[in-house]
Amino acid sequence: MKILNIITKEFLLASRSGYEIFMPIVYFLIIIIFFNISTSYVEKVIMLELLPLMIWISCLLICILNLETIFKEDYDDGTLEMFLIKDDEIELGILIKILSHWLLSNLPIVIVAPLIAMVLGLDTTTTLTLFVTLLIGTPTMSLIGSIAAALTISLRKNKILVSIIVLPLYIPILIFGTSAVNNSFFKMNYSVELTLMLFLFFIFLLITPLACSKALKISLD
Amino acid sequence: MDNHLIEIDNISLLRNEKSILENISFQIKKSKALNLYGLNGSGKTSLLKIIVGMTEPTSGFIKNVSGDEDLFKKTIYIGHKYGTKGNLTVEENLSYALTVNSKNSPLIIKKALETYKMTRQKSMLTKNLSHGQQKKVSLMKTLITNSLLWVIDEPYSALDEESINIFNDTTKEYLKNGGALIMTSHKKIKEPFFTTENYKIYS
Repeated sequence: MKILNIITKEFLLASRSGYEIFMPIVYFLIIIIFFNISTSYVEKVIMLELLPLMIWISCLLICILNLETIFKEDYDDGTLEMFLIKDDEIELGILIKILSHWLLSNLPIVIVAPLIAMVLGLDTTTTLTLFVTLLIGTPTMSLIGSIAAALTISLRKNKILVSIIVLPLYIPILIFGTSAVNNSFFKMNYSVELTLMLFLFFIFLLITPLACSKALKISLD
Repeated sequence: MDNHLIEIDNISLLRNEKSILENISFQIKKSKALNLYGLNGSGKTSLLKIIVGMTEPTSGFIKNVSGDEDLFKKTIYIGHKYGTKGNLTVEENLSYALTVNSKNSPLIIKKALETYKMTRQKSMLTKNLSHGQQKKVSLMKTLITNSLLWVIDEPYSALDEESINIFNDTTKEYLKNGGALIMTSHKKIKEPFFTTENYKIYS
């Protein structure tokens, strides 16, 4: 009941905020188009090899793009204060907020990216791997990013700091994700990468709500 | 002692090696309003934030002596930031503020809207309202939640006379039913709208 309540609220707010929800997907399309234009001189085989990796990088960049907005609006209008004081399930509330952020800004890309990859000529198995790795990787990135966003929320311009904090933490996910896709492209085994990615996801699923609630409480102090 | 809700015991607060609050002690009592007044920057808001548990005092205790373990969860805090979403309508803001959703929640909201005479604005986006009206929306939250204690920072700021009277009336009613109010203001409350104790904070 409560979970649904928060999600519907976030979706309602997103729908009222106008075209902003389309920004991630527009950015993604721009990157892909530019990538294709700039690599049109490269041989098609090499291009295909680079394509899934390029998609991975663009997803990662787009994830960073609006990370700091997760708690920012709530902080600015005072909703966060009331939420932290009153609520008895702060951790759950934070997790749902991150989930709705992921649903709104990352899930569209996770769905669109494999489709575009297929249109550009990637084989089905690699596309499937790309989809699965993005499905595991992007929520992990949202979880990590929300810790950084929570830590820096009291700063007026926290965008740069969030990106810097998040950068080294994203590298393992990028390595495992691109490695899995690459292995799949060359018909090699990639189960280790997937396991490690899942491992990272569950670790941050456990850590993030606790870290966020502490960080937010400190920043309200 | 029966009617005490919270005991504030020797609270001090240091910020950047500057003392903001020093050895403050008082009680919050049932059916009574407590008005914290003092100059700008004397630490009224900080004290409220300490009471609701947002800020940790440098020394001292906030004791819950009400006998209800969930007292702090049944506290409503209305700070300088109104806690309303600009992109939601007045009605939506209120319905998301409800702690428990039940069948008669629309009725509760309708009653709150009528009390503050905002029924006409109920489907307007909150961001299009004036400051005073936004303040009223946040004050309406006190009416729709079942709380044992209201903690309100400057309830009278930005309100017109009519709204101040409405707030005074609702507070009177609430205190009569066993609630408690702690608020800040920059002056002493002399008029006996409701049972008020004044507590001056010196910086």
